[in-house]
Amino acid sequence: MKSSAKSIATLLPTPRLLPNESEAEFQSSLQGLLSEFETPSPLNIALVIQLNECLWWIKRHTVDKELLLHESMAVILTRSADFPQSYDNRLVSMPLEGFLAGNASEEDNLWIDDLLEGAKLTVSDLRARGFKSAAKDIKMADDLIHRQYQTMRHLQKSIDTVDFKSRLIKRMDLELADLENKALAIDANPS
Amino acid sequence: MKIKPLLSMPIPPKTHTNRRNAQRSTGPKSGRGKLASSQNSRKHGLNVQVDFESSGVYAHIKRLVSQEVFSSFMAADIATSLLNYRRVMDAYYDAYTRSKPVSNYLWNVNLVEFQSALMELSIGTPATAANVRSSTRLIGRLQRNEHRQGRPVVRRTVDCHKLIRYQRNAISRLSKAIRPA
Repeated sequence: MKSSAKSIATLLPTPRLLPNESEAEFQSSLQGLLSEFETPSPLNIALVIQLNECLWWIKRHTVDKELLLHESMAVILTRSADFPQSYDNRLVSMPLEGFLAGNASEEDNLWIDDLLEGAKLTVSDLRARGFKSAAKDIKMADDLIHRQYQTMRHLQKSIDTVDFKSRLIKRMDLELADLENKALAIDANPS
Repeated sequence: MKIKPLLSMPIPPKTHTNRRNAQRSTGPKSGRGKLASSQNSRKHGLNVQVDFESSGVYAHIKRLVSQEVFSSFMAADIATSLLNYRRVMDAYYDAYTRSKPVSNYLWNVNLVEFQSALMELSIGTPATAANVRSSTRLIGRLQRNEHRQGRPVVRRTVDCHKLIRYQRNAISRLSKAIRPA
C-alpha cells in the first residue's frame, strides 16, 4: 500500500517552490497534514499534496497583498517628498519596510518620521491612502486568496469522500469476515 | 375538459438560438483589441485541448486509482482531472514567476531630456526635428504602457488573476469526478 501510495504522488508533476522557499518546510507541512490519516490511500496522498500547495499559495498571495500596500505607501511618500521615482521606489520603500516591521535603524526611523511630517501624514493616514490607491490590486490579491480557499474546500470534500469510501469497504470486509466466522461456527456445531 | 392547444410554431432548437445569439456577440472591435485577443490562448496554453489519455502517466494513475474503491470509468475521469488540475497549477506557477519584467530604463526615462539628447545626436544626420519628435512620442507611449502594467508584484498578481477561472474549472471537474452527484 505504501509503495503504491508513494508512486501516485511521484507520477503527478510535483508542486514547484519559489527559489527563496524551503523544500524541508513544505515537506514538514505536508507530513503534518498526512499525519491526520491512519493509512492514507494513494489518491488521498495526491489530494493532500494539492491541498498543501494551496496553503502555500495563500501564504505567497498574503505576502504580496502586504507588499502591494507597502509599495503604494512608498509611492505616496516619494511623491510628497519630490524624490525621483524608480519602478521599485528603493530609496523610500526599503527604509519604510523596516520602519513598518519595526526593525529599521535609528537613522531610517528618523528619516521616515521626517518624510511623514513633511507630507503632513501619520502612519495610519499613509496606510489609508496607500490602501485607497492600491485598492484595485489588493482586491485582485484577495480574489486569488479566496480562490485558494475555495479550492481547498473542494479538495477537503474529495479527501473525505475517498476516506469514507475506503472506511466503508473496510467495514463491509470486517462484517463479511464476521458473518463467515459465524457461518463456520454453525457448521462446526450442528445442533 | 378543454385541452389547451399547443403552440402553432415549433420551438427552435437550442443550437439555432445559440448560433443566432453568437452573431450578435460583442467581441473586440478595434484593431488593437483584435490583436490583443488573438494572443489570448498563446500566453498560457490552457485553452488548448490536451490528450491525457494517450500518456503513460495517465494509464499508471488510472490503474492505481482503480485499485481503490473506484470503478474503471471513475478512475479514468479522476486520472484525467488530476492531470488537468496539475497542468493548470503549473501554468499558475509560471504566470507568477515569469511575469514580464519591468524595464528600468523605460520606467525612469525623462522624456524632455531624451528629446534634447536625441536632438543633439541628430545634428549632421538626415534626421529631421519631426523624426525626433515622433521617436520621443513612441518612447512616451512605451513608458505609459510600462507604467500601466505596474510594478513587479502588481504584474504577477494580474497574471495569476487571469488564471482564476481555469483553476475554478479544473478543481470543479476533479471534485465532480471523485464525488459524482
